[in-house]
Amino acid sequence: MKKGMSDNTRGLIKLTIMRVIVYAILIFLCILCLFFFYLMVVNASRSNAQLATGFSLVPQENFFKNLVNAWNDSSINIPRGMLNSLIIALSTAVLTTYFSALTAYGVHAYDFKGKKFVFTFIIAVMMIPSQVSALGFIQMMNKFRLTNSYIPLIVPGIAAPVVFFYMKQYMESVLPLDVIDAARVDGSGEFRTFNTIVLPMCKPAIAVQMIFSFVSSWNNYFIPALLLDKAEMKTVPIMIAQLRSADYSKFDMGKVYMFILLAILPVLITYIFLSKSIIKGVTAGSVKG
Amino acid sequence: MNKNDQKMLRPRKSVSYAKWGYIFILPFFLVYIVFTLTPQFLTIYNSFFENYRSGLKQIGPNFVGLDNYKALFTADPSGTVRILKYAANTLILWIAGAIPQFVIAMLLAIFFTSYRLNIKGQGFFKTVIYMPNLIMAAAFSMLFYTLFSRVGPIQGLLESWGVIDQSFDFFSVRITVRGMIALMNFLMWFGNTTIVLMAGIMGIDQAMFESATIDGANSVQVFFRVTLPLLMPIFVYCLITAMIGGIQMFDVPQVLTNGKGVPNEYTRTLVMYLNNYLTTKNYGMGGAISVILFIITGILGGFVYKMLSAQYKDPERQHRQRKGNVI
Amino acid sequence: MKKVFAILLAALMIIGLAGCSVPSKETTAVPKAEQGKVFNIYAWNEEFKGFFEKYYKVPEGVTVNWIINPSDNGVYQQKLDEALLNQASKPADEKIDMFLAEADYIGKYVDSEYTMDITSFGFKNASTMYEYTIKAASDSKGVCKGVSFQCCPAAVIYRKSIAKDVLGTDVPAEVQAKIDSWEKFDAVAAEAKAKGYYMTASFAETFRAFSNNCTSPWVDANGNLQFDPQITAWMDQTEKYIQNGYTLTAGVWDAEKTNEMFKTGKTMCFFGPAWYYNFCMTNAQDPENGCVGDWCLVKGPQAYFWGGTWLLAATGSDNTAMLKDIFETFTVNTDVLNKMVKDDSQYVNNTDVVKAFAEDPNYGNTSILDGQNDIAIFYELAKDIKWENHTNYDQLLNEGLQNKLQEFYNGSVDEETAMLNFYNYIGEVYPEIVIPAN
Repeated sequence: MKKGMSDNTRGLIKLTIMRVIVYAILIFLCILCLFFFYLMVVNASRSNAQLATGFSLVPQENFFKNLVNAWNDSSINIPRGMLNSLIIALSTAVLTTYFSALTAYGVHAYDFKGKKFVFTFIIAVMMIPSQVSALGFIQMMNKFRLTNSYIPLIVPGIAAPVVFFYMKQYMESVLPLDVIDAARVDGSGEFRTFNTIVLPMCKPAIAVQMIFSFVSSWNNYFIPALLLDKAEMKTVPIMIAQLRSADYSKFDMGKVYMFILLAILPVLITYIFLSKSIIKGVTAGSVKG
Repeated sequence: MNKNDQKMLRPRKSVSYAKWGYIFILPFFLVYIVFTLTPQFLTIYNSFFENYRSGLKQIGPNFVGLDNYKALFTADPSGTVRILKYAANTLILWIAGAIPQFVIAMLLAIFFTSYRLNIKGQGFFKTVIYMPNLIMAAAFSMLFYTLFSRVGPIQGLLESWGVIDQSFDFFSVRITVRGMIALMNFLMWFGNTTIVLMAGIMGIDQAMFESATIDGANSVQVFFRVTLPLLMPIFVYCLITAMIGGIQMFDVPQVLTNGKGVPNEYTRTLVMYLNNYLTTKNYGMGGAISVILFIITGILGGFVYKMLSAQYKDPERQHRQRKGNVI
Repeated sequence: MKKVFAILLAALMIIGLAGCSVPSKETTAVPKAEQGKVFNIYAWNEEFKGFFEKYYKVPEGVTVNWIINPSDNGVYQQKLDEALLNQASKPADEKIDMFLAEADYIGKYVDSEYTMDITSFGFKNASTMYEYTIKAASDSKGVCKGVSFQCCPAAVIYRKSIAKDVLGTDVPAEVQAKIDSWEKFDAVAAEAKAKGYYMTASFAETFRAFSNNCTSPWVDANGNLQFDPQITAWMDQTEKYIQNGYTLTAGVWDAEKTNEMFKTGKTMCFFGPAWYYNFCMTNAQDPENGCVGDWCLVKGPQAYFWGGTWLLAATGSDNTAMLKDIFETFTVNTDVLNKMVKDDSQYVNNTDVVKAFAEDPNYGNTSILDGQNDIAIFYELAKDIKWENHTNYDQLLNEGLQNKLQEFYNGSVDEETAMLNFYNYIGEVYPEIVIPAN
């Protein structure tokens, strides 16, 4: 009896030590994740002269001054960039999810010749990144005079194999074909069935994919940088990258930190409100790797 | 009347609805053909031509066969084949971020799913570690540049501590620049991997763990004999998709080093190399690099395809067995 | 989730509507007048934009669009080339009307069909303009395609307090006597080092003083790359300066260098023309940490010029009256030019105006210098500027050489590797240039 109890206590001590170590690791990783962003916020609150004097972990009083300066800067027109990014990212998110759901539904609910090929094809090309066809894409867009236009940044979102795959899997788990049959019996047209019955049933998947599409479009730099050069068309990532290459030494550093903060803020705010469902979405099987 | 009976009694008239299948997939394929497939062929086609801009003059296109590929794999006077160097850079940068990414993610996934440890505040931890994944890579690397530059706060701090002297430059030392890129990639991806691996562990039948424990296995044995083998498919899937992501590495080193890949081009990746030809409108050489990238990603994508199609071998059974939890 | 979805959708619809209405407005609201309503300007930084907005009154009803791309890595030239090549097929309001070009690559545009003869819209080059600025903007047949709004003789700008400490004097004439050749300059660098100062704050600070005196172009008639003795002299000097700690490993545009212009800076000499004051020396003018008045200007070891911004008329512009107007404002409008000298410390492209300042005993630059008449010095220097040995490749070759050698100077690679990287860089940006085999 006595021996058993000491075993138990020893186990408990071992477990407690384990827990302490695990929490320490977790807290360390959290600090690592937050440290650079905290430093960014602090530095965005300091003036150029204060920043020149060195390191500080205490926020100072120039946050709003930097905000006003950054917002009103004439060369890096961040409000315009945010509007451009917002238009592109929102449209992409809506088109991507809607048409991926539509395509997935087409493959899921209907039997047609070549269906197997269609599905195989999409999975086969799913992993090919856009960079490898970027050259032809840029060349074509130049030819069609579609540089400095939203179109080449939005419309290709209609064909998103990864989102298609996710929607297809989701439909398999939540969308029994009987529901569609029942709708047909009620006289619902195929498009109406999709829009009024299928879409609402896939709402969780659509919401998650919308957020992901939005974020990846908002953050996209490679293709937009090759297509956009007019000031009023530039998106946020292009403006941020431009900070790095243009007369860096002339900048008020407080303003530079503010630009960076503004660039990531919309996504950060979205995340704070929706982090639960985003993480649930990843758990449920994001294939974004 | 259960579902199967209903199906037998009233078979779906699938044939009559086939046209709707085509209509629904039409926009996807139309857009795919116009914006991806055609550009893909155009890219490959371009790789066989000399086609570049010299200022305002257009040179070519002249058919040159495989000359662009030959040029890519020709060594410079020091014996370096540049594209292989950039490929090695890409691989090294990826591995340097991926090893800690997968090790830490695996550890965290085990911590979070352990009933014995019973970690509190999981929601908070997951929220924080996933956050960097959503941050704009261009902004994140700009932030790192400003923090680590010669006149940035980190330099000042480390100088005042006496860790480094005034002449130290984070951007002139191979290991620090690569280290920064690896650290950023690690921070951006380990949270994501943790969550996916956790989902994988939770998908494993609890009975497997119980029987192993009853058989007297300790937690290390349980991990290596039960968890890891059952998690392997998901783990490999994560690894390959991460690798495909790694090949595309661009934003972080591009913005961090202002496209220069300092020092000595040790942080210049394949896509940075490609980007340089795209901006200078050298479509011949750019095409050849694209084709090489296409082949590499195609091979890796083939593995993913195999894994996914194995999962789909028997879609009907799969459908019934699915618990909504997929990779 | 439903709410979020609804909000996203609603926002998208609003934006979609807004997006639809914008282009239609643009296409319908343009009355077909003789002169265009939109004036498009391509530039690589904000410098000229500032003067343009300050001194040029845009005609009623005309919108000015600035398309600004950084010149780093040749981005500005690439974007401009692309736009010019598509110029012919663009609607009038999207055509480039005017673009800016720098000494390093102006030839490429001047000697092309994409720029137009400025006499075609009635602009005549004035006799007060510096000859070299006209030559630079003229094609091989002598047809002039634009004007420069500045003239860029460059000099040595030194910190008086440091000169006093190192040389025992801060009087320009005496300082000049001590640094009027590179040998003397090097000797002073050693003295400065001994007193704990840097001679220059960037490894590339003296680059232009050498490269501008080259007697051969970067690329010969057969497309071979060649190194002028002046370039190799710069490389030798810089290697020595780095080894001896006379200078820093920062690039000319780096913050590390410009921080040396604060009051706390330890650097004695900076090399630059008049535009350098406002463009590079803002730290010296910082109200708290700056050191206005602690600066003077002398010729230095070797006369040279650096940069310059030309305004070129783009073929196809439908705003020729405005082009003429702008050109006149910045070359012959003495009211504007006088203000630019007095208020903005510019050295303008009008010999009458600068001569008057040079000879004015009451004029002195107090916005950064100690009240010295810098125009008088620039005026003397500008007489010798010649336009020769330029190629269309100069920007990227100058920039590439500096970038790749910087890695040698900061110790990341050996010199041989740095040069190989430079050759490799040339191969990527200009495949047509032949690299010497050795």
